[in-house]
Amino acid sequence: MDDMAGRLAERDVGSVFLYTHEAHPGEHYPHLTSMEQKFRHARELRDVIGVTRPILVDALDGACHRFFGSQPNMTWIFSGKGTPVYKAEWTDAQSVENAMDYFLNVKARREGRETLVAFRVERTDYRTRDVEAFHKGLERDGPKAVREYREAFGG
Amino acid sequence: MSDSDLVAKYNYDSFVPDKFRPWLNFAASPPTGRIVGDFPLWNLDETETSLHAVLSGHSYTIVEFGSFT
Repeated sequence: MDDMAGRLAERDVGSVFLYTHEAHPGEHYPHLTSMEQKFRHARELRDVIGVTRPILVDALDGACHRFFGSQPNMTWIFSGKGTPVYKAEWTDAQSVENAMDYFLNVKARREGRETLVAFRVERTDYRTRDVEAFHKGLERDGPKAVREYREAFGG
Repeated sequence: MSDSDLVAKYNYDSFVPDKFRPWLNFAASPPTGRIVGDFPLWNLDETETSLHAVLSGHSYTIVEFGSFT
């Protein structure tokens, strides 16, 4: 997602990471109880994981995250006026870039004075399931996160 | 639900289905194509901004939701 953000920046596409709540709280990154802790975890996302996009922090009660459906790692694309034009319950860079190519083409068509009418579409996209990386992430969160995931899903 | 209950339940302390499943509500999320309301957000330097302020800076903005864990 960071690589794509760099490619799209020169085409007037912004990219941000919105920090929500701890999906898999563990001993090293426990559940959030204060904004101070939430800022600290968000900074570690930048410093430890290496997210290079601007990171924004939601309110402690997750008002923005909850409004958009509270999925642990979803992606939405918005127009500059605040209209969602794409929403995906999981994040997949190829899906997002495919959608952005389409919307940038729409922008070019509008600039070419083509008359366009919006309509809504649904489709099913596919993401890579990197089990090894996911479990490494759980181990980074702490043994509690590993144990609880196994108990919930047997993975 | 009181504000403190909401904060505690949203920031669940254990990944157990009874605690995380109630929050997964993507099917009821806003439709595309309609302007959404604004929400306060904060930069990492703890200065306040808002969703609309962020979105207004570009033709389109990609927003990935997530956390360290």
